Amino acid sequence: MSIEWYLVVSALVFSIGAGGILIRRNPLVILLCLELMLNAGNLALVAFARAHGNQDGQIFALIVMVVAACEVAVGLGLIVAIYRRRLPIDVDELRELQG
Amino acid sequence: MSLETFGWLVVLFPLGGTVLIALTSQVLPSKVHGYLGTVAIALSFASAVGALFALQDLGEEERQVTTVAWNYANTVGVDAQLSLLLDPLSIFMALVVSGVSTLIHLYSVSYMASDRGYTRFFAYLNFFVFSMLLLVLAGNFFFLIVGWAFVGAASYLLISFWYRRETATRAGIKAFVINVVGDVGLVLGTYFLFQGTGSLDFLQAFQAADEFSRNDGDLVAGCLLLLVGAFAKSAQVPLHTWLPDAMEGPTPVSALIHAATMVTAGVYLIARMHPFFEQAPIAADVGAILGCATLLIAATIGLVVTDLKRVIAYSTMSQIGYMIMAVCSAAYVAGLFHLMTHAFFKALLFMAAGSVIAAMAGEQNLDKMGGFRRAMPFTFGAMAIGGLSLSGVPPFSGFFSKDEILATVAARDDWHIVLAVLGYIGALLTAIYTWRMIFRAFYGPPVEPARELEGGHLYHAPEHTNPATGEVEDTDVGFPGPDHHIAEREWSMKVAMSLLAVGAIFAGVLQIPTVTNVLHDFLEPSFADSSFYEELEPSDGATFIGMAVGTVIALAGVALAYRLWVVDGERRRVTALRARLAGVYTFFSRKWYFDEIIDALVVRPFSMFGRFARDVFERVIVNGLLVGGPSGAVRAGSAAVRAVQSGFLRYYAALLLVGVTSLGLYFLIAAS
Repeated sequence: MSIEWYLVVSALVFSIGAGGILIRRNPLVILLCLELMLNAGNLALVAFARAHGNQDGQIFALIVMVVAACEVAVGLGLIVAIYRRRLPIDVDELRELQG
Repeated sequence: MSLETFGWLVVLFPLGGTVLIALTSQVLPSKVHGYLGTVAIALSFASAVGALFALQDLGEEERQVTTVAWNYANTVGVDAQLSLLLDPLSIFMALVVSGVSTLIHLYSVSYMASDRGYTRFFAYLNFFVFSMLLLVLAGNFFFLIVGWAFVGAASYLLISFWYRRETATRAGIKAFVINVVGDVGLVLGTYFLFQGTGSLDFLQAFQAADEFSRNDGDLVAGCLLLLVGAFAKSAQVPLHTWLPDAMEGPTPVSALIHAATMVTAGVYLIARMHPFFEQAPIAADVGAILGCATLLIAATIGLVVTDLKRVIAYSTMSQIGYMIMAVCSAAYVAGLFHLMTHAFFKALLFMAAGSVIAAMAGEQNLDKMGGFRRAMPFTFGAMAIGGLSLSGVPPFSGFFSKDEILATVAARDDWHIVLAVLGYIGALLTAIYTWRMIFRAFYGPPVEPARELEGGHLYHAPEHTNPATGEVEDTDVGFPGPDHHIAEREWSMKVAMSLLAVGAIFAGVLQIPTVTNVLHDFLEPSFADSSFYEELEPSDGATFIGMAVGTVIALAGVALAYRLWVVDGERRRVTALRARLAGVYTFFSRKWYFDEIIDALVVRPFSMFGRFARDVFERVIVNGLLVGGPSGAVRAGSAAVRAVQSGFLRYYAALLLVGVTSLGLYFLIAAS
């Protein structure tokens, strides 16, 4: 299979993730969409690694997973904190940092 | 020890005293600090005596020693070093300052004993002596200015010593402001002289004084500006109005700063700068004429003032007028001799006045005094000795010094003779106002406090009041203490006054015409470059005529005062005279309207200018344009940028996406 198909799938998944972030209001779903975007990137990296025939891209993908794990930990922590303080679980309501 | 060591010790002992008193103010009992301060100044005096002997050991040509501790700044041709100049003139001044200061410290130990600010008082007093010694021993213009400003600050602190009295704080501010005018004059004068001579060091600058041509514009300007400094510090017309107000300070302060030492700094300055003044006779003449004017103006005001301390203050102005007139007319020895004798008898007069004021429980008004002669014999004796010396009755010291001034000024053989004649008129006024004060305080029927004192009880006012305004005060810190101390009952006041009385009587033997010439010979090395020093010498005939005239005038003044205020117990003549000369009396008692004139010419225009600056310049230009312009721009810009911060997460994400996408697109298009 040529590399184009992988990239098309990757772009598709990335767009779904980005679109989700833009339209959804639940922070949990936004985190999930973020994961989708990261994994789309991983897919592209692995596809390129295979096309070029070396392992750099695969290692990069592993590092991205580590980062993603950290980010999920922080993100979920934030969501739990929001929930505990009985704030609305809705990013549009949480906009006190406006100018 | 060498001369240099002694010289530095003279300055360092009072400084050490200040620091020690300040640091131990909470540790040691306050009684100790009075003695600590006195001992520090006494050691300084001992060092000055040591320096005197060390100086006399040197050859006549070598008696001008500059000792440098370190280079303070030596850059672009400015040679500001921390240096002392030890020559007969500076050692003479150091001896007078530290000697009189020691006695006044001793007097204050008792006089201020019940004051809550006792420790602070001695710390200030030691600081003042340090500054004054720095001023007279400084070896260059730079440290002269430092000492000059320090004594001004010390004077401010001590005038406002009772800082919860509004009259005292006002007087302190007035003194400080006028002294700053003088400081500016001194600094600018130094600038003009430095431009011509290229050196801040005294000896080098004096050697270069010849490079100015006679009455050169820069030189005259420099000398006139030095005169501004000298006049502000020495309370000469028209910068004199602070001195009478300065009497708000405690009496020992008036004795030390406003009679014996600081106010004579102007005389010292002119004597020290004589090479310049001799090259700029115009400036010297201006100084001599204004000095003569001051001595007459102050004497006429002294005739009518009813505040005991202010009479002596105007007398101080008048006597410094004599000294300024002398040193500006090149009668240096006479001026400095009078400076010394004046330090003795005027400090003595102030101390006696302080004793009387204490017996009156703080009251200073002569109208309320009288008949203290029997109640306070010691104080009366001291006052009489000081008064005789001040009026120039032979053989007291003031007689010799005043007559030497007038005879030497007359020996200039030109229009200076007018100054000498006016000086004799001033001497008559001096005798009258001095003895008016003494007769009014000590003769006549005894007042209530005097009667109580005769009965062995020191009068206490039912409530403590400010003598100037009559406001009721308490005796806590910032106000005078609850108890008063008179010389009859305090050994330290007695000792100090007795020693000064000895000086006031016998100091004249240093310069008895045609017999002794001690001071003249001693000061010779400092004035070796003067063209007048040896030549300006009144003939023997003129001297004796002057002495005879002086004696007659002084005795006539005393006799007149006796007739007017003692023989005529009801004072009918004085009342009649006052009624007949009502206009003159008002003119004198309003102090020649100097305060009003200065208020109208300087204070009001300046405060109007200040208000204009505050209301227009500050509000419109500084606040509106300089500050308002940039801050307005920043505020408008930030308001625009702030709108982007909506707080919606999706906007940020969209912005990021659009941004990254368009960047990627741009590079893709650019690469293809």
